[in-house]
Amino acid sequence: MDLSDVNQTLWSLQAGDCCEIVGYDDALAEKYRIRLMEFGFHVGERVTCLHSLAFGAPKVYRVSNTVYSLDDEVATHVLVRKEPAGE
Amino acid sequence: MSKIILIGSPNSGKSLLFNRLTGLAHKVANFPGITVDIGSGNLQALPDKQLVDFPGTYSLQAISAEEEVAVGYFENALCDPEVEQVLCLIDATRLEKSLYFTLQVIRDCERHGKPVTVLANMIDVLDKHGLDLDVEGLSAALYTPVLPISGRTGKGVDAVIAALSRPLPEAGVTRSHLTETPDAILRGEAHQLARRFGPRDDILIRTQHRLDSFFLHSLTGGVAFFVIMYLLFQSIFTWSAPAMDAVEGALAWSADRVVPLLGNQVAADFTADALFSGVGAFLVFVPQIFVLTFIIGLLEDSGYMARAALICHKPLRFFGLTGKSFIPLLSGTACAIPAIYAARAIDSPGKRLLTYMAIPLMPCSARLPVYSLLIAAFIPAQTALGGLLGWQGLAMFGIYFFGMFCGLLITGLVSRVAGQRYQDLPFVLELPPYRVPGFVPILRNSVNRARHFVTKAGKIIFTVTLLIWVLGYFPNYGADLGQSWLGQIGRVVEPLFEPLGLDWRYGVAIFTSFAAREVFVGTLGTIFGIEGADENMVPLVEHIQSSQLALGSGLALLVFFAIALQCVSTLAILSKESSSRGLALKMFCGYFLLAYVAGIVVYQVTGWFVG
Repeated sequence: MDLSDVNQTLWSLQAGDCCEIVGYDDALAEKYRIRLMEFGFHVGERVTCLHSLAFGAPKVYRVSNTVYSLDDEVATHVLVRKEPAGE
Repeated sequence: MSKIILIGSPNSGKSLLFNRLTGLAHKVANFPGITVDIGSGNLQALPDKQLVDFPGTYSLQAISAEEEVAVGYFENALCDPEVEQVLCLIDATRLEKSLYFTLQVIRDCERHGKPVTVLANMIDVLDKHGLDLDVEGLSAALYTPVLPISGRTGKGVDAVIAALSRPLPEAGVTRSHLTETPDAILRGEAHQLARRFGPRDDILIRTQHRLDSFFLHSLTGGVAFFVIMYLLFQSIFTWSAPAMDAVEGALAWSADRVVPLLGNQVAADFTADALFSGVGAFLVFVPQIFVLTFIIGLLEDSGYMARAALICHKPLRFFGLTGKSFIPLLSGTACAIPAIYAARAIDSPGKRLLTYMAIPLMPCSARLPVYSLLIAAFIPAQTALGGLLGWQGLAMFGIYFFGMFCGLLITGLVSRVAGQRYQDLPFVLELPPYRVPGFVPILRNSVNRARHFVTKAGKIIFTVTLLIWVLGYFPNYGADLGQSWLGQIGRVVEPLFEPLGLDWRYGVAIFTSFAAREVFVGTLGTIFGIEGADENMVPLVEHIQSSQLALGSGLALLVFFAIALQCVSTLAILSKESSSRGLALKMFCGYFLLAYVAGIVVYQVTGWFVG
């Protein structure tokens, strides 16, 4: 898979974007990181942004067969590698 | 009696299955984290076995105090010799999310020698969409029986009963394969198992995505949100009204027939004033609680509530709250009691606590008679801009907005000053699939909630009502409220209200309004010798106007009632729901002090301008 944009975060995705999780930044509290991993946001997992709402509202992501909404306080700490469009 | 533990991650349909197996009515909704209490009930088919419903948690690795309690209960239960086995419920439509938790449960049960049966719920949804779950493969991989079931339709529930009827495997037969496996390995294993044995098609996600494209769209989603919230608001105010009037009418009808039968005057006065008027005043809220619980149940079970929480999250986060606080706050504009119940849906204990703090400041309907009286007495009934702007209407809008503003301001300040305490869970909201709500369980839950209100809050409300009645009735047997013990207390505490420009009569009215805010109007009417003031305020308004009470005092009273937590029913429910009398007491004292200081400031500032 041809991957690019390695310095993006989950929050930077727009509706329809897909990415692979590459890690979490150090500012994310350990307990939050654990909870995210319990929800399926593992390193290496493929995530799709389904909806990006107006006015900075939480975004909607699909991971595995479940849909979650994350706000920027969490999503900005999840580091991703965005897949080029059409992948 | 042997016990069976029912455990599962939030929104896996656990409470619905519990209700089906026991015949009891637990809160059921399509909204994560809805089970807060630990419920138990005997199995209908096997009455010698007790089913214990544990709160849904995402993991046995707790990250909040509330989760620690839930996990602690589970760990203790595994040491209980009466617990013979564990039923672990998974959502077959979202396998990976459920399997990590399931693997943790199996591991811990293996450590304690307790057998586990995995129940793959929502199999009816898979059937409907032609999807498959490899039950046998999953069972073999988990070394644990897996039974496909549907809590909604009842499919497979007989097989669960049959499995529970069979003799348990002997000690040591349970195969240990995860006993020493750390959580990190379990997460990876859950991922692999979900891929191998879970449904292959993503039709459910695609269906959900189409509906979300409408309900979360900037335009259509916004319109849908306002329409739904409008209907919710109507349900609280308008649709509950006939039933509330009916309860009020029934109480009045009963009082008219019962009171004359009592020969003793004290008994007659007690029955009329303390029982029918006092305690009856809280019974009128029962229909409102029922209707609101029912509507919220529909929203939760349909899956829309999670979307509403998402839409409201950003603006409420600024004030330290979460999107899930919106429904309780909106409900609070009708009545704080159903609003406090509605706050159960907030999974974060810290955010729930903040929401509790804001709810009593929402301008509830009980404040309306007080506001109406004071505005009519102090704000001129004049208009401006050719009749478009009425000063009284503007004052009513202002005081309503003031209450909301204070509520949000307080939560904003508290969350900033003691931020860490209220930052317990991240905003990661699971958006469940949309579905047609199950009307019967929601109806049952609404009845239960109304019953809970009557039985739990009733004792406290009755005690306070009785105390106020005794103080107001004796020693002169209700002849003159001014000469009663309450009147005497009013005179003693008169200096307390002097800084607001109020005399003892208003102090007594404030004191009695602790039972319910609207009692303020009736008490003032009684003290001023005006009969039926709570039904026709005009004579009382004229009396207050002619009494030369200062404008500053009237505005101070308005501000006082906007802030003070003058409602024993709210305090009773707050105490029960938070499991903390301390919180209710602190909030009562804190808001009284704040209301008092704000009242003094308003009185003094108005005095500078008006003289």
